[in-house]
This record gives sequence, structure tokens and C-alpha cells, in this order.
Amino acid sequence: MLSNLAHRALERAGLGPIRDKVLAKERLAEEDAVRLFEVRDLAAVGALANHVREERHGNLAFYNRNVHLNPTNVCVASCKFCSFARPDDREASEGYTFGLDEAVEKVLSRRPLGVSEVHIVCGLHPTLPWEYYTELLRRIRAAWPEVALKAFTAVEIHFFARKFGKSYEQVLRELRAAGLDTMPGGGAEIFAKRVRRKICDDKATAEEWLEVHRTAHRLGIKTNATMLYGTIETLAERVDHMARLRALQDETGGFQVFIPLAFHPEHNMIGKAFPKPTGYDGLRTYAVSRLFLDNFDHLKAYWVSLGERMAQTALSFGVDDVDGTVLEERIYHMAGSHVPQGQTESSFHRLIRLAGRVPAERDSLYHVLKVHEA
Amino acid sequence: MPKIRAAAVSFLNARPLTAGLAGSERIDLTLCEPSAGAAMLERGEVDLALLPVGALAGKDYEVVPGIGIGADGPVQTVLLAGEQSPVVWDEVFLDTASRTSVILSRVVLAEMGRSPKFTPMPAVEGLAAATGTKGALVIGDRAFDVHKPHVLDLAREWNRISGLPMVFAVWAARPGVLAPEDVAELARAAHQGQGMRTELAREFARERGGDPEKYRRYLTQKLRYGLGPYEVSGMEAFLARAAKLGFLPEHTLRFADDQVKARRARRVVSLDTALQKGADGERLDADEAELVDEQAPLLELGLAADARRRALHPEGVVTYIVSRNVNYTNVCTTACHFCAFYRPRGHAQSYVLSRQELAEKIEGTIAVGGIEILLQGGLHPDLGIEWYEDLFRWAKASYPTINLHALSPEEIWHIARTSQLSLEETIDRLVASGLDSIPGGGAEVLDDEVRRRIAPLKCSTDEWLTVMKVAHRKGLRSTATLMFGVGEDARHRTNHLLRLRELQDETRGFTAFACWTFQPENTRLDPGDNSAHAYLRENAIARLVLDNVPNLQCSWVTMGGGVAQAALHMGANDFGQVMIEENVVSAAGTTFKMDSEEVERHIRDAGFRPARRNMRYEIVGA
Repeated sequence: MLSNLAHRALERAGLGPIRDKVLAKERLAEEDAVRLFEVRDLAAVGALANHVREERHGNLAFYNRNVHLNPTNVCVASCKFCSFARPDDREASEGYTFGLDEAVEKVLSRRPLGVSEVHIVCGLHPTLPWEYYTELLRRIRAAWPEVALKAFTAVEIHFFARKFGKSYEQVLRELRAAGLDTMPGGGAEIFAKRVRRKICDDKATAEEWLEVHRTAHRLGIKTNATMLYGTIETLAERVDHMARLRALQDETGGFQVFIPLAFHPEHNMIGKAFPKPTGYDGLRTYAVSRLFLDNFDHLKAYWVSLGERMAQTALSFGVDDVDGTVLEERIYHMAGSHVPQGQTESSFHRLIRLAGRVPAERDSLYHVLKVHEA
Repeated sequence: MPKIRAAAVSFLNARPLTAGLAGSERIDLTLCEPSAGAAMLERGEVDLALLPVGALAGKDYEVVPGIGIGADGPVQTVLLAGEQSPVVWDEVFLDTASRTSVILSRVVLAEMGRSPKFTPMPAVEGLAAATGTKGALVIGDRAFDVHKPHVLDLAREWNRISGLPMVFAVWAARPGVLAPEDVAELARAAHQGQGMRTELAREFARERGGDPEKYRRYLTQKLRYGLGPYEVSGMEAFLARAAKLGFLPEHTLRFADDQVKARRARRVVSLDTALQKGADGERLDADEAELVDEQAPLLELGLAADARRRALHPEGVVTYIVSRNVNYTNVCTTACHFCAFYRPRGHAQSYVLSRQELAEKIEGTIAVGGIEILLQGGLHPDLGIEWYEDLFRWAKASYPTINLHALSPEEIWHIARTSQLSLEETIDRLVASGLDSIPGGGAEVLDDEVRRRIAPLKCSTDEWLTVMKVAHRKGLRSTATLMFGVGEDARHRTNHLLRLRELQDETRGFTAFACWTFQPENTRLDPGDNSAHAYLRENAIARLVLDNVPNLQCSWVTMGGGVAQAALHMGANDFGQVMIEENVVSAAGTTFKMDSEEVERHIRDAGFRPARRNMRYEIVGA
């Protein structure tokens, strides 16, 4: 139940009508979301988002045990916000591509740590053959049948379709046959054309990104959705992004979680022009997305990007998922993230518990594996 | 009010806990035989007794936290003695009904695979009879005189078996009788008594003969009077092992502070009412403040504190100051467990800044628009008041526009002591030579229970507050701080805020309050809850409880800009310092850095207008 203090604050902020909609479980309009962003009343908006979060998930905070694999950083796209991509495999350009044996070995070495999910994202490599990707999944799947494989963003699926002359459906069916379980939500950035043209002109468009996910959902593949905030987008463009995700979710119900990601400015082409979004911007983005995305079950704060302190704080602003133990993260670390590589499960539990929540380990499909009561 | 009736033994080892109770206004102590205390408590003839730990089993007594009699190694006064090794014993004589020592003997002997018969016998005869396969258990002061070929110190044996200390006795009370003030009185007496140990040893030697130095070593080196987590683990392990071997019923410890807290919480109207009162600027009493600390969810605290901040600072302005932290020396004699900055005198990394170095730092500060130097240092044993006077006069003469925000209360005490001056005189002389205002550092947690544990050599709560009181009376302004997350609990944090509020009622000398959490890297102290969540909660609580302190600073230096921005929406109205230099927190691993442009971006992005201020919180031109 929303407290009197929250009611008073929301009314003072002129958010009474929006509150009424939320409490009546009515859908918020795009202008409501823009208003929630603009009001800069973090405690009031946060309290409303927290109310929704606790209605859905009580006191649980989800995490999983995962390992990241980035088999190559060579990428033909030239996204201006990226610090990870390199133009080719030459040592001078710091490009790398793991051989299949090496990639599989890296993943399998993590098996003793109780990992339940492997997260695989690649650069758009100009010359790797189709078999590299299917074989990668097949070999991991054969050696480690029970692990969940969450692999390839919509941008990679689109790239594979173009490069290897297949439909999205064909690509996805072949990957699934090789072992793919779910898909990560990366590459969405901001859907608005104006923004995409400026920051990631040469990769999958919004429509293509959404079509890949639509196809995956139709095939029964659950996926995630992300939003890269803090570059040149306006608040209305953020809301438009979320509105398009909400519409597709109405159609398919295939998204598991929404993950806002903060732009990190170090070592990329636009870092000088745009400072890193502040933590405040992150917290209000979580809160607004929790309120606006009424058909998404989960909202994730990616601690590798945020830092542990902000990830913990986000658990009071609508977030119910703090991602995983994340071994071997590369993409954000190359953009200046200083958080330690990998979290032990006990430090994860501590972070969650000290936020007044109860840690719940989940699998890739958000089934609860174990609730760690104190 | 009727006094609490208490019983304790007259053994030497109990005297440091009981001596300080002579003449107590709350507790009426009767001395008794070891076995009598438990029976008196059981029959209700007393409310409180210094009980052997074994006597707790199966009872609902509440243990007084923090105080006990134990040993982490040999203790000398709980012995098994005989002509032969205990591994051949089939019978043990004992001279009292001390079940705890009997059980400890059985636990230790069981570990050796022995389970001899225990037969009561008066002490002198028992010892005489301990020949062949017979042994004797000797406890208490008589054990000082035991001379047998085979002697087993049971505390040492327990330590060897469990890796934990042995706790022999604790204060235990019938449920519901102790008030927080009684617990505090026992803690006070224990503190006082431990300070009297040399005297108590001498007195004991006069009573019964023997070497006072031996008794002093016994009291100061063999025994431990604290009951922290380590000792409690020892107690729990002992009770669990005795239960497992069937010597005692299973037992879960109950502590008086848990019970006292639960009782106190019930007295409070309700959490919602307390939060609403805080939001409306009504004064919270101690029970309400503590309840809010223990139970209020973050966002409820945030909403209440935000409402209060809006009432106090409706303009939507968030201030900050450009200043430089200069640590004139890192030499310090207090060796606080939470500090990573200090070095002992003569250490290769120790320093005292030269005039030249100071001049460069001050000029650098002025060059970037700084208006204040925050000058603090360790407690250097060689620096007297003249050194500070010269320094201040030189700084003021050379840089007249700079505000000299210098010397925490701890340092002022130190200067007074080193120079053998009164506090008044010390402050007068420092002000006359140029001191403008005082930082609020070194407050840590203003509760002596915590201070004794984390910074035993630092000034006491009263001393810290006295410096502030005298300084405020002389027209100096100061800030107030709280460093928490050192394993303290809500009661301690509440005491801290209430003591500050009380002084502020009297002097109105605090311009602002700031809290931060303990940063544990490179220090010897284990952190308690020092999370961002705890920080934001405490920040909001402070806004609610400190109804008479006008400004609340957030701490981006320890928490990062994002958490600090959240704090602005949960009570804070000041973004602290743009720091040109900071050494103390960064020595403990914190690395957040911001220049004034970045500070202003954070303030604006959070929805406020940034403004530069001076130490008195007056807005100054950019």
C-alpha cells in the first residue's frame, strides 16, 4: 500500500492523476512517462515505482550465475558509443577472435563454479563463417548439456541473415538447433531514427531489431530488451523506445526483462562530447520504465555498468534483478567500468540483503532456483 | 524507583565487574558463594546475577550484552590437578557445585576419551585425595595455590579444542526487569572496574596474601571482560558442545538489549506517525528516532526527509564549497582501527608539511577559486600550541581571504594536553592567531560503547562535545559528522544524533551535518553495514532527527555522485566540497573524483540550482 507520505509527495508534484492510473492498473500514456522523467522528484516517483515492484515481486531480488563470452571484438559496424569493437584481427588494432577450441575451453573452465547461463555476444566479424557460430553453440551444448545458452543480439542475427543469405527465421531455427535457448537484448540502443543515424548508422534499424525479436518470440525463444541512455536522445525519444517495446510485448509476450544501460564515455568516439549520465538519470530511468512498461515482468540493473552502490540503490527504485555474477565481462570494462570482475555469490547476497531484499537465484527463464532467506 | 537486586561472587576475577557498583543508584549488589547466585535468581530473591554460563541452559534469562568474564588461553583459576595424567583418571573430586566448571571438565576429558566419576569433596581434602587415578577440579582463588605434577588449565584446553575463547560468567537477568539504563550502568561499572585492576589486585593481596603483581597479571592478561561476537561464539560453541554430549539441555542465548529494544519499540506510537512527525518538523524522541532507524524502509525515510528539506530549503538550491583538505601531518598516536592514513612518528612514510609545501597548496587553492583550507592532522606528540599559532598567523598574514577551517576537537584536546593549557585558553589562543571555524571530524560514533571498541585512545563523547560547546560559545562555528558502518546498531547512531541535537539546542553552533560510512580497505576493522543503502537511510534519518541543524551535506566522495544525487532527494541540501585534495578517505580505498563543473552537472541533473557557499553557508559569487 502506498503510504500517506507518498500520496502527499505525489500530489505535491502534480502526479496525482498518474498515481491514480498506476493504482488502478491503467496503462500510462507516453506523455505521462515524459512527465515522470521531467518532474525531478525522485523520492515520489521512486516510491510509486517501488510500490509496483513490490506488488509484482514482493521483497525478492533476482540474480543468476552466469559467464560472459565475447568470442570476437572485430566488428564491421562503427557505433560511436562503443569502446569494444576493433576493425580487424591484427594485433596492432587490438582485435581478437578466439578459435573454437579456445572459446569452448574458456566457457567450460567455468563449469565448476556452478554457472547456469552462458551469455554470448560477438562483434560483427567480416569473415567468420556461419559454421563458426553454430559449431560454437553445438560444442558447448554437447559438453555441457544443462547450461542455458543466451546468445547473439538481434543486431548479430540481422547481420548473419544478410551475410549468409538466410531469413531471420532460418538463422534462429539453425541456432536453436545448435543449442541456443534465449537471446540477450543488446543492440536496441535508442530506436528513434534521428539518434540511430548519429550514433549507430550502419547497423540493424529499429524495425529490423524489433522484427528479429518478433520472429524469435514466434519461435518460442524468450528474449531481453535494452535501451542505451545518456547519449543524444531526448526524454521523448527514450519514452518512444519503451513504447515500441511495450507494443511488441503486447503482441508477443516474449520479452523477459527490460535493461536500461548507461552510456559509458571512455575510449570511444563520442565520450568527449557526452559525459556519462549521472546516477540520478539512471535511477529515474529505472523508476519510469517500471511504471511505463506494465507488460514487462522484470527490470534489471546491470551492476557491471552501474557499480555496486548504484545497483543496490536501484533495488529501491523499481529494479528486481541485478543480473548475474558475470565472470569475464569485457564490453563495459573497455568503456571504463572499474567494478571488480565477477562477484562472488556471497557478496551478491550481502549487497541484496543490505538493501532490505531477499536474494533469489533464478535460471535463464526466470524460474526461481533458490530463495536465500537470511 | 526500586533498585535492581543483584548477586555476584567475591572471587578476584569478578571484582572488575562489581567494584564499580559500590554506591550505585540503580543496582544493589550482594556478594555470595558461587553456587548461591543461580539459586537466588531462580527463587526471585535477586533480579540479576553474575552467573556461570552453564547455569543459563534451560532458563529464559537475558544476558547483559558486552560484559563477561572469560579467557582466550590459560586462565589459571579453573584447573584439573592430580599426581597422574588425566588420561588415567577414573574419579574427579570437586569442591563446589559449579556446574559450568564440571561441564567444562567433562567436555575436555571427553575430548581425551575419558568420562570419570565426579565426587563432591571439600577442597583441601579433594586435593589431598587426588593421587593415583584420582584428580581434583579446583576453581576460584584457591587455584592460585595448586602445586601438583599434572595440572590442566581448562580455559587453555577449551581454546585448543574449539579455537574460541572460554566465557565463564555473564550478567544474567530475569526476563523483562532490565531497563536500558541498567544495562548502561553495568557497562559503566565494568569500564570503571577495569580501570581499577591494579588497585583491586593490591587489595586482594592484602586480604589473602600472595604477590599483587601476579594477581594484576591475572586480571589484565589472563582474563577478558568484553563480550563481543568472538566471545559470544565461544559461549555458543561451549553450550552447543555440552548439549551434544548430553551434559546440558540445548540453549539459545537471549540478550537483554534485544529484549529491551523490543520493549522500547512497543512504547512508540507507530512508524508512520514517527515519520510523519519528522516530515512535519516535529521533534522525534529517542524511541521514535530509534524505531525509525530500525524499521523504516528507505523510500519512506526519503519521502519524509525530502518533505522536511523542502520546508527548510524551499528555493531548490544545492550549495557546495571549493576548498582544499590539507593534512599537515600523518603522524598520530591514536591508532584508530578504522584509519588507513596515520603513521607512527619516525615511520618512513610519516611527514609534517613544510611552510613551502603549505604555501603551494594554499596558492593552488586560491588559483582555482577556493576560499577555504580544511586543515587537519594526526595527533603529533611534538607539536605544541606555538607551532599552530605560528602556522595560523603566517597563513592569515600571507592569505588573508582564506577561511581557516581547522583542527577537529580531538586535535584541540591534544594541543591543550601537550601544551598543558585549559581548553578555553587553547581555543582563545588559536582564535587569536587566526582560526575561523572547526570541522566536525573525529566524531565517528558519539557513543562510548562504540568508541571504546573502534578508537580506544580517542577522546570520549563528552570530551568531543565539550570542545564543540566551548568553541561555539566563543563564536566559532563548526560542522558535525557521523562515521558509521562499524558494527554499531541503531541505538548508538540514535544516541549520536541526540547528543548533537542537545548541544545544538544550547549553542546553535553547528552549521551542518554530514555522515558517511566506514571505508574498510587498508584498515584493521571489519565493516558493519556500510552499504549505499545504509548511507541513504542514515542521511534521511539525520534530516528528520536533527531538526535544529540547518544544513545536511551529502558525501559523494565516499559514495559516488549517483548516490549523492539520491541523497539530495532524501534530505540533503548541500553537495559538500569540491576537493582539491583529500588524503584520509582515499587511503582507505575510495576514489571518486569531481571538479566543480562535474559537481554542478550532478546538482543540475538532479533538478537543483547549484550555488557556491562559504563555511557559514552564505552564497558567494562563482
